[in-house]
Order: sequence, then structure tokens, then C-alpha cells
Amino acid sequence: MRLLQLLIENVSKRYKGSGFFALREINLDIGHGILGLLGPNGAGKSTLMRIIATITKPTNGLVRWNGIDIAKQPDEMRIVLGYLPQDFGVYPNLNADEFLHYMAAIKGVDPKAARERIEDLLAFVNLLEARKRPLKDYSGGMKQRIGIAQALLNDPKILIVDEPTVGLDTEGRVRFRHLLAELAGERVVILSTHIVSDVEATANDIAIINKGHLVYRSSPEELLKLVYGKIWEWVIPSKELTVAKQKYLLSSIIRRQDGLHIRVVAETSPDKEAKLAGSPTLEEAYLYSISTHRGAKANE
Amino acid sequence: MSRLRALYAIMRAGYWNKVRTYRFLIILGLTIVMGYIFVPAPDANYVTLGWGSSTTFYRGVYNSAWIGALVAMLTGMFLTLLGFYVVNDSVKRDEQTRVGQIIATTPLRNSDYTLGNALCNFAVLSTMIAIVVLTTIGMQLFRGEDPIIDLWALVTPFLVLVLPLMFFVAAIAILFETRPLLRGGAGNITYILLWLIGLPLLSESVDLFGIIAIRSSMSATGLAKYPELAQIQSILGLAWGFPQGRTLATFTWQGIHWTSELLQTRLLLVGLAIGISLLASVRFSRFDPARETGKIPEALPSDVLDMNEVQISSVVRLKEIQLRPLDAKALQFRFEPILFAECRLILKELKELPFLGIWGYSVAGALIIIGLLFPLNEAHGILLPVSWLLPVLIWSKMGTREAHHQTDQLIFSSAKSLKRQLPAVWLAGFFLAIVTGSGVALNLAFHGEWLGVLAWFVGALFIPSLALCLGVWTGSSKLFEFIYTMLWYIGPINRMEILDFMGVLRGSVEARIWQFYLAITIVLLGLAFVGRKWQIQRG
Repeated sequence: MRLLQLLIENVSKRYKGSGFFALREINLDIGHGILGLLGPNGAGKSTLMRIIATITKPTNGLVRWNGIDIAKQPDEMRIVLGYLPQDFGVYPNLNADEFLHYMAAIKGVDPKAARERIEDLLAFVNLLEARKRPLKDYSGGMKQRIGIAQALLNDPKILIVDEPTVGLDTEGRVRFRHLLAELAGERVVILSTHIVSDVEATANDIAIINKGHLVYRSSPEELLKLVYGKIWEWVIPSKELTVAKQKYLLSSIIRRQDGLHIRVVAETSPDKEAKLAGSPTLEEAYLYSISTHRGAKANE
Repeated sequence: MSRLRALYAIMRAGYWNKVRTYRFLIILGLTIVMGYIFVPAPDANYVTLGWGSSTTFYRGVYNSAWIGALVAMLTGMFLTLLGFYVVNDSVKRDEQTRVGQIIATTPLRNSDYTLGNALCNFAVLSTMIAIVVLTTIGMQLFRGEDPIIDLWALVTPFLVLVLPLMFFVAAIAILFETRPLLRGGAGNITYILLWLIGLPLLSESVDLFGIIAIRSSMSATGLAKYPELAQIQSILGLAWGFPQGRTLATFTWQGIHWTSELLQTRLLLVGLAIGISLLASVRFSRFDPARETGKIPEALPSDVLDMNEVQISSVVRLKEIQLRPLDAKALQFRFEPILFAECRLILKELKELPFLGIWGYSVAGALIIIGLLFPLNEAHGILLPVSWLLPVLIWSKMGTREAHHQTDQLIFSSAKSLKRQLPAVWLAGFFLAIVTGSGVALNLAFHGEWLGVLAWFVGALFIPSLALCLGVWTGSSKLFEFIYTMLWYIGPINRMEILDFMGVLRGSVEARIWQFYLAITIVLLGLAFVGRKWQIQRG
């Protein structure tokens, strides 16, 4: 099997007019498996996705797919790409079958092969029975499933999915996670999301972006190590919640009869009542890395 | 008080949203250029208002009253057309940004919403008028025939004649937007046709632009000094072909006496505009798509309903997931599948045309048969223009469909889209022209009119090229709908040979006007290709 490599070298993106830097000197070396790209809203995740998907070009830096500069030879990437953008539309007068055939033609898939592939994909996204309904009658979740299906039409070597589980119900989300896990063995999958649990369930590699900077890159296990011994929990009365929110980095609040059970991310014990929590979550590790980056930026 | 505040808020938000667009700036720039053109220099080879004989041209001195009235009358005519296209996207904007759904959940009344948006439209058009007034002052000083600026005399024609008209246009725009059948492209075409055909008819009985009153006042002053004017036809509008060596005879016109009758007409227009704005709220869908289409969606199959899915055991379902790998040879990038896909897309759209709905195919088919069986002159002169007006809303989506439906990221991130998808889009549009006009073409061929067939063929090449080029470069279907309908009406319908891009006039075919359109077609296609390449590369 040929090794696949996506290399992102010093990539920056500055928007004309506003001069706003969406990305600053991002470096990533991505191989087989699932990279979970985490970050708050507006962090620059979608911009990075669009650059890799050849929709937009970086202001500085290079993106190489198996050594080829995709800004110069975008079709080298497009042939092997499956892309699910965060915001996308469909042709409302077509039904699912027709739309997927249209997209298959756009992606260069031979009609006969496309028929079989569409059959599989419609079954996978659970839209077989709705395949003849015009897409204008689809719910948001159903449209999202069509988006997932079109991204997989050409059996891509690199799959870029931007907030793929938005609008999906519980089962759809579980199925999608399983599919990603299944696909990841032989491809590069980049999953951009702000839902940490999606990444936790699937990714073998995590990159955190905040304000255009790459804040952290490691395996989920390594990320979790960041917060070992830094998660504290104790019970506070409800009236102290506002103060606690201002004072601590809260990762969880659960209301019980004896008061509010809070979990706090902190280097040292934040309160005399606080006890070290047993097992930190990836969400807490994510919160910690973002807040550490914010603190470092504020001190600059 | 809260209603007034709501009206003000709607007006203010819409106003800033509209004036901060390139479209507004482009039409504003065009309006300023028009303000300049409307006041020609004494030695210019065209005139805009006066009386012309072969040797002498009579007009008023370029004082504030004359220039104000002249520019106001012409701007009024010009902006009743273009102004509509500047402002007719208020409801569409709220729908696309989904702000409409938030508005729909507030206590805001429909009538306040439509009136607020009509006022917003009026504010936008009034801003344009204010800029035109400033241009007019500049033009009076620039021409230098009378250096004294009489602000009242200059501004009153705009206040009395143009502003009520603009309010009327603002209200019509909102009325069109709230009628499902008159929204978007269908409304754009309908409005142009109403302006081209209906307005001149209406103006014969109602002095909508105030032109009759002003011109009779100017005539009276001119006749007092030059009695020979009684024998000469007056001119209003852009008229070319005046010899540069002609004598210029001027008289001083101090302005019109605003009679109460004239003012009442203008007030009536304002009242009518308010009435139309309120009428727009009647049966306004309030952003409920179910009310808009009048359709009740069929029940979804049980297993695609989201709620039911949650209840299904995911463990059982997950075992079923089997995506077979795609053979590497399956990626062939052949052209025929994409051409077929684009053709299917437009065939679907033919079935969804406003006013026709599912009858789209039948009407197109009937036009082909009638075009074939009718006597050649009628088929060629009448049926071909009708056949090629029918698909205008499909052609107008060429080059804009991807952005409009937000499929652009999906398509532009696919390989070879410039070399495959763009030609397929154009060819599908070309086939549409060929098929819809085929009856007349066959009729021409049966009669041995091969030059006519050639001109027809060039027309079929030209239409999708114009649509694709304008769509790619403007990102909107409006400009094509506007330009095409104007060309269609002035050329083939009003029999102006130079604009006969369909080759329906014998004179234009014999003069080989089609060669000109063939050359333009090549340029348009080149521009469309460059524009799309730029779109894909700029990201």
C-alpha cells in the first residue's frame, strides 16, 4: 500500500481588506488515520479545511499531497478528495438519487460504477426509501447525510469533513463515527469539529487550533496527560456559581440535592474543599490547552 | 410609538445592508454618469430635451430650473426601471440569512414589515436621487450658461416628480417580493415587460412622470420667443444624429408653476404606494415555506424520520454498513455523464418554471409544433421570440446556480471542473435553445431559408453565452434577465435590426448582423472561461 502524506508547511492565511489573519504559520504532517481538528468557533479550522480542499489558497506556505504542491497542481488533490464543507447546499428540484448521480459525474465517476456506489451510500446514510423525494423536502439532518454520501462518492484517499455531525441524530452520529474509523485504515481523514466527543471516539491524532495558531498536536492519550492531577471537584451552594464561573475554569456543573457538583481545571487545589478527580476527560484537556494558549497570548 | 420604532429599525437595517453593496455603488455610478449625459454640451451630437430642425436646435438656457426639470424627468424614467433592481431583495435577504424566521416569531405585524421595507427601499432610492441632485448642480456650473444656482428651482422637480415615483417603485418591489409567483427571475422579467409595455400605455392617460405638465410649460415659454416651434416636433430622451454645425437657439425658462392638480396627482401616487405596501402584507407567507408553496409535504417514510431513527438499535444497523471499494478504473472523467447531468438539471427546472409549473414541458412542446406548422413569417417573427423567452429563467441560472444553491465548494473542489463542468453547463443551455427553437428552425429549413437557419443557430449560441458570462461575472441572474429581456423587446419584438440577435428580421439576416453576434459569442465564452477560472483559483 502506498504511503499517503499531507504536509502543511508554514501555512498562513490573511484576508484581503480586513487584514485579518485566519491562520498563522501552521505546520502539520498528516498520515493515515483520523486527525481530529479541534478549536473554538472562528479559530481557523474551516479556513484550513478549505485550503487543503483547494477551495482557497494560503497567503504564505505550502500544502503538499504526496510531495505535490496542491496550489500549483490542485487536480492532484481533487481527484482523491472527498470534501464535506460546513455550509453546503443541494439542488432542491433534484432527488437524492439524481443529485448523487450529478455529483458522481462532476467527480468523474463512471456512470455504471456510480450506480453501485450510490446504492451503497444511500443504504449507508439510511436514505434508500427517501431517494426519490425532492431534496427541497429534506430535513437538515437528511441533507447532511446527502453531504456525507457525496463526499464518499469517489472513494476518496483523503476525506475532509467539516462539522459532519451537525444536524445528525444520535444514531446517525454513531454510524458516522464508525464509518470514519472503518475508512481511516487506508486513508487520511481530517475531522474538523467543536464537538470533542466526536474526536474522542474516532481520532488517533489531535490538533487544536485557536485564533489561527496551532496550539497543540498529539495523540488523545498525550493530550489527556496534560490535565492529569489538574482536575478538581467539590460541591458548592447554587448562589456561589456566578463567583465560581468568574474564578475558575469550570468543565462541568451537575445540580444535585446537596448543591452543585463542579469540576474545575486548575494547576493547584482551587479550594480547601476541592478533591482531585479520578479520570480527566478529553474535553477538559481541550479546555485546558485553549485557556493556557489564551493566557500565553494575553501575557505576550 | 413601538410600531414607529419597529418601522425605523427595519428601515435602518435594510438601508445599510443595501447601500453597502457593489450593486448599489455600480448603479449609483451609472446614475451619476447619466446625470452628466443628460445635460449635453452645446456642440454634442446628441440632444436630450428641446426642439430640433435640420439647421437649428431650440432649448432652454441651462439654468437651475431647466437642468433640474430635465434631469429629474430623465432620472425618473431611468430609475423607475433600474431602481427596482436595486431594491427588490429585502424579503429574499431576510429569507436567505434566516433573519426572517426570527422576525416571524416576533410580534411584528406583517403590514409593519412590508411598509418598513418599502420605506427602506424608498430611503435607498432617495439617496441615489440626492446624489443625482448634487451631480445636477455640478453640471449647471460645468456647462456655465447660468452661474447662479437657484436651489429651489433645481430641487423641486426632484421632490415633486421623482420622489413619489421612487416611493411607488419601492412599494411595487415589496409587493413583487411577497407574491410567490413574482419573486426572483419571474418578477424581474415581468417588471421589465410592464415598464416597457405597460408604462407607455399608462402614461398616455396619467402624467406619471410629470412630463406632460413640464413640457407644456416649456413649450409655452419657447413659443413666446420662437413661434416656429409650433411646427417642430419636440424631443425628450437621448436622440442622436444632430449635425454639429447647427445653430443653437435658447430661451429662458424659469420653471413650472406647481398647480394643486399636479401636486394632488403626486400625493395620490404616494397614497397608492402606501396602499401597495400594505397590500403586500396580505397573504404574505411570513417566512413559512409551507404557506409559500401551498404544498403539504408528503409523509416521510418511517425510517427516515429522525425521531424514529433514534429508536432503532444502532448496534443492529451498524453491522449493515458495507461500503465496497471503488475500482480505480471507475474514475474516468468522461464528458458525457456530466453533460447528461447538466441537461437533466435544466429539464427539471423547465418543470418548475413560475406560472407554468408542470406545464413547462407541454408549453415548450406546443411551441415547437406550432413553430413548425405555422406560416413561416408568423413562426419566425412571433413564435421564435416567444419560444426563446420561455427558458429565460433557466438560462439566467447559468454560472450562478452553484453559488445560489451553495454547491460551489462541492463542485470547485472536484477535479477538472473548469474543463468539464463549465462547457457542460454551456452546452446544456445551448441544447435548450436548440430544442425550444427547433420548430421554427425546421420551418425555415423546409422553406430553404438557410441564411435564416444560420442566424437562428448563432442566436442559439449567443443566448447561453451571454447568460453564462454575465452569471459567472456578476454572481447573480438579475443582469442577464434584465439585459436579455431588453434586447428581446427592443430587437426582435420592436424590430430594431442591430439588436436582432435571433435573426427574425429579414433585414438583419441580409445585413449579416449574425456575424456580429457570433463574434460577441466568442468573446463572451472567453470571458466566462476566464471568470470561472478566476473564481476557482481565488477561492
